[in-house]
Formats: sequence, structure tokens, C-alpha cells
Amino acid sequence: MTLFQARNARLALFAAAAMLGLSACGGAGTGNAPSPAGGKQQANAGANAMQDRSYKSDAEKLFVEKCAMCHRDFGMGTVVLARRVEKGQEWLEKRTDLQADFVKTAARAGIGNMPRITRSDVSDAQLDAIAAYLEKAGRK
Amino acid sequence: MGSAIGAQYVFTTEEDRIAYSDHYSADETSHQPLGAVAPATVEEVQAIIRIANEHKVPLWTISRGKNFGYGGSAPVVKGSIVLDLSRMKKIEVDAENGTVLVEPGVSFFDLFDFIQEHKLPLWLSVPGNSWGSVAGNALDRGVGYTTYGDHAARICGLEVVLPDGDLVRTGMGAMSGSPNWQLYKPGYGPSWDTMFCQSNFGVVTKLGLWLMPEPESVLGFDIDVDKPEDLGWLIDTLAPLRRQGIIQQSPSIGNWLRAAATLTLRDEWVEPGKPLTESVITAIRKKFNIGWWGVAVRWYGPLEINEATSRVVEKAFAGKPVMAMRPTRWVKGDAPEGSPATGVPVTYPLANANWFGGRGGHVSYSPVLPVNGALALDQYRRTSALYAEYGMDYHPSFAIGERHMTNVNQLLFNRDDPDMMKRVDSFMRALVKDATAKRYAEYRTHIDYMDLIADTFDFNNHALRRLNERVKDALDPNGILSPGKSGIWPANRREKRS
Repeated sequence: MTLFQARNARLALFAAAAMLGLSACGGAGTGNAPSPAGGKQQANAGANAMQDRSYKSDAEKLFVEKCAMCHRDFGMGTVVLARRVEKGQEWLEKRTDLQADFVKTAARAGIGNMPRITRSDVSDAQLDAIAAYLEKAGRK
Repeated sequence: MGSAIGAQYVFTTEEDRIAYSDHYSADETSHQPLGAVAPATVEEVQAIIRIANEHKVPLWTISRGKNFGYGGSAPVVKGSIVLDLSRMKKIEVDAENGTVLVEPGVSFFDLFDFIQEHKLPLWLSVPGNSWGSVAGNALDRGVGYTTYGDHAARICGLEVVLPDGDLVRTGMGAMSGSPNWQLYKPGYGPSWDTMFCQSNFGVVTKLGLWLMPEPESVLGFDIDVDKPEDLGWLIDTLAPLRRQGIIQQSPSIGNWLRAAATLTLRDEWVEPGKPLTESVITAIRKKFNIGWWGVAVRWYGPLEINEATSRVVEKAFAGKPVMAMRPTRWVKGDAPEGSPATGVPVTYPLANANWFGGRGGHVSYSPVLPVNGALALDQYRRTSALYAEYGMDYHPSFAIGERHMTNVNQLLFNRDDPDMMKRVDSFMRALVKDATAKRYAEYRTHIDYMDLIADTFDFNNHALRRLNERVKDALDPNGILSPGKSGIWPANRREKRS
């Protein structure tokens, strides 16, 4: 497995407990146990895998509130983008090529598997602030 | 409407109409609303209801509209105005009693952030897509993965705007100033909370919910089995443990594709349009080390009790042909476990919509069965045969409740494949017909199939429908609230029933 796949396998372990219910992937398991619970007790393979929800500015706070659930670690958008873009660029906040206008169009029109974001969910003013934040965030 | 809530919260552009359509649908125009209104207060909700009554305009209530696979924010009736409550985001937590009163716009992430920020010793129960509304999910009978996973069962007290604009509070909330609104469910006389679940009898503006006090430990097992036929004994082993309350959450047994659809792309394994053969399935399973079926089971509470539970469950599995049975362990003081098993919100399971690589989506087919291994095996055989017949990839799960089992199947599809999209509707109808022949009904369904499912509740020539419609007509004589929701139509639109 490549590093990329190993990371995804770790995600599926969470998927286990989520709607995916499946457990078991990656090297964290004990392998094929000869008898029930034959392996030794261990910490969950997903330990310490919380999404970072911190922020340092009002614009970043808006990004966390409105976008991070999908676009920081373990988010649906990050997982899907990792299949399509250059390594490291699946995190919107690390992108070096994002234009504010593109961000706004993607949010309002939807893109790929991303649904359209309504103006009630994210107002035009909020989207302006988020788009400006993303245009700069990765270029620091 | 603009004068009632502010013109900036009335959304009527073409872009808005498209934004509120069902983005998983093959034909997004079929349920396109006329626009949306987004009130911020209960008074604004009442003002909108009054205007809708004056003009006899149908509203379609959504909390946050993230109910993907069931229609998202789109109404049953094309041209309805979406009553979008996503701006109503108040949270009141009673940390001592472990309860919260939320408005409909509060998402699982919002509530999680609030609890973290205030360092409260409370855990959420979250669904696979935690972007959605806490209140909306509970009202639609959504589920999570902890012992608080039956969300509708944890509702305690509602505030509701009725279709004539009247405002009621249910349970102990009916006594003004009661300290018991979120503590005692029944109230006095008839209890009304469940009347507002999956219904169109009112607009819930506040919902009380019990939250789990942070446990000292979470232990459990991640169990994989190797063959499709292992489903039977796996269910029969877990069922008594669940029935006796030794396992208090609902273990959800999913097949290999439930995991694989978030891990990899179909095209990496087989040519588009070609079926997934056993050798392909074996190769995918081998690469990711996953069982044909897999299940995560967990117990919550004091470590000494949980360790004893682990021994009891291990004994129940002694001699069973498991492929893998891995103990899991989290104890207070450990780093956060970070998965829905410990109430951490997530969205990555939605990545299964990317299984075909392009613009994907799904609808769910979710019949309820008795908890029984032989019945589950029969269900698996019939359902997987229908998936094969319609050229779709079988994506089932069986969640074990105290007395029932919910068999949630995803119909994963590729919106860029018109041939496949044409098959989805007839496939869904074939599945429902198959379940109905066994006298199984669905617990929840997509806006396209609300009448189809309501029709299967046929005792005494659809007496339940007559009851629902008598209530509807009494409360909502102008038929303004969410016509068609759960197959309940007001008198002035009954001819619309499909």
C-alpha cells in the first residue's frame, strides 16, 4: 500500500463506526485471529484522529463553521479531492491556485460531488470572506 | 414575505431554485421549489405561516436540507416555497442534566464545537453525515452509533408552530416556566412529540434532546467475517446480547462495499458497465483487509463493567468462525478516539457518492425486519439478486435494534451515466415490491417514493392514511405545510397523490 492508500484505509476504519460500519483495515489490526478476540487489547486505530477545528481569524472561523466539516482532515471533500489533485492540494487551505471567484462559483453551482451551498446556509458576504481567505491561505 | 423577514432572506433567483433542488436526482427540475424563505425567529416563522395561509401557498419545511439520499432540501410538490430554518441556530445546554434544547439550524458540528468550547462532559450521537441538523435528523428518525443512537427516542419536548400559526410546547413545556421540559417526556394526557416526526403537522422550532454523559470508557470489538453466509450466525450471535441490553448501541453490519466505496474507485478494479465478479471482490477485500461483512460493537461506561461485558461478548463468539475480532479500547484520559463511536461528527462516509468517479449520488432502500439470521440471509439473497438483475452494486447494512433490524441499502449511482439513471426508479420499485411481499415496510424514504411507501401500510384499507389525513385536515385546512410528506396529503391536494 502506498502512503496515500494507507491513509485512506485509516479513514475507512472510521467509516466502520459510521454508516459504513466496517472495521478493520490497515496495519493496526491484529490480523486474522485464530480464536475470537485472539489479539491483545489495543487502543483504537483511529485514536487522536480528530479534525482540527481551530482558527486564528474571523475569516478562518467562518471557514471552520461552514466548510471544514468536508474540507479539513477526514472530510468528504478532502477524501474525494485527494483522488484528483496533486498531493497536498486536497486541503483547500493549502491550495496555491485558488481564485476567490472560482471558490464562489464552486460553492454556489456545486462541483463534482459537492452540493450547492444556499444563501441561507452561507450568505453572500460570508462567502466573500471565505473565498478571500482561501485565495490567500495557501500562498502564505 | 420580504416585509415579514427581510428581503435578503427571501431567495427567488434561478440560482436559488437550483440550490434547493435535490442534487442527487436524475432530473433536478422534478422537485424544484419556487424559492425559499429563511426566518431567524419563531415570530418570523409564524409571520410566514400566516402569509402562506392567506395566499394558500405550499411551504416545504427543512431544518438544514442535508438529508441527502432522501431528497435533500427539495419538496415533494414542485413549486413549493422551502421554509429553510438553517438560520435558527440557538443552543441551550443543561450540563448537569445532560440535555440540550436546539433550534433546527444547529448542525452536529455546531453542537460539537459548542460542547468543546464550553468543555462540557457530554457526548453526541452522530449520523454518517454530520453536516445535517440535530433536530431535523431526530425528527426524521435518523440514527447514530452510540447507546443514544435512536435519536427520535431521545427527544424530550418540542416547541412547534402549528399550521394556523399557533405556538405550542409539548410535554412539560406546556406549563410555562417548567424546569422539567427536557427531563420528563410524557407530560400530562396524550404525548405529542412523535406526532411531529416524519410528519407535516407543524414546524418544530425547538427540540429537546438527551445527551450522553461522557463515559469513563468505551470498549468493544471490530468483527469481520469472510463469507456472505456468515451473516446469519453473526446476527443470531449479536441478537440476544442486544435484546438483553448487554449491547446497548445498534451494531450495524455492513458488507465489503460499504467500506470499499469510501476507499477506492470502482474503475480501478473493473471496466465501467461490467459487473463486480467474485474475483474482483476478493481482490478489493484483500487489498484493504476487509471482511465480506464487518461490524463495530461498543459498550460505554465504567471500565470494570465494560471489561466484564467484553468477556461476556467474547464468550458468546467462542467457537464462531470469525475472520477477525479485534478488541477496541478507549479510556478517559486517552487521546480523543475521533470517530462516530465516541460521538465525533464526520462527513467522510459521503465519499461513497464518488464510487463511480464522477458526479455520484444515492437513494436509500431501508426495510425493517425482525432480528433473525435466517430472515436476514433470505433478505440478502433476494436483494442481492435484484441488484444483479438491474446491474447495480450491492451496498447493504443490517443495524440490530432491541427488537427489530433496519436493512439500509444504498442505491449508489453515477449521475453521468444516463442508462444507469434510467434503471434506478424501476429498481427501487422492484425492491419495494419484493419487501412488501414479505410484509416488510421501509422506515424512511426519498421524496419520490413517499406515496409508494405509504401505500404499503394497507391494514383495513389504509386506515392509517385516513387517520393521518383527518389530523392533517383538522390542523391544516389550507394544506400549506409540506404537502405529500410521508404520503400525507391535505384535502385540497389529494388528487396529487401518485
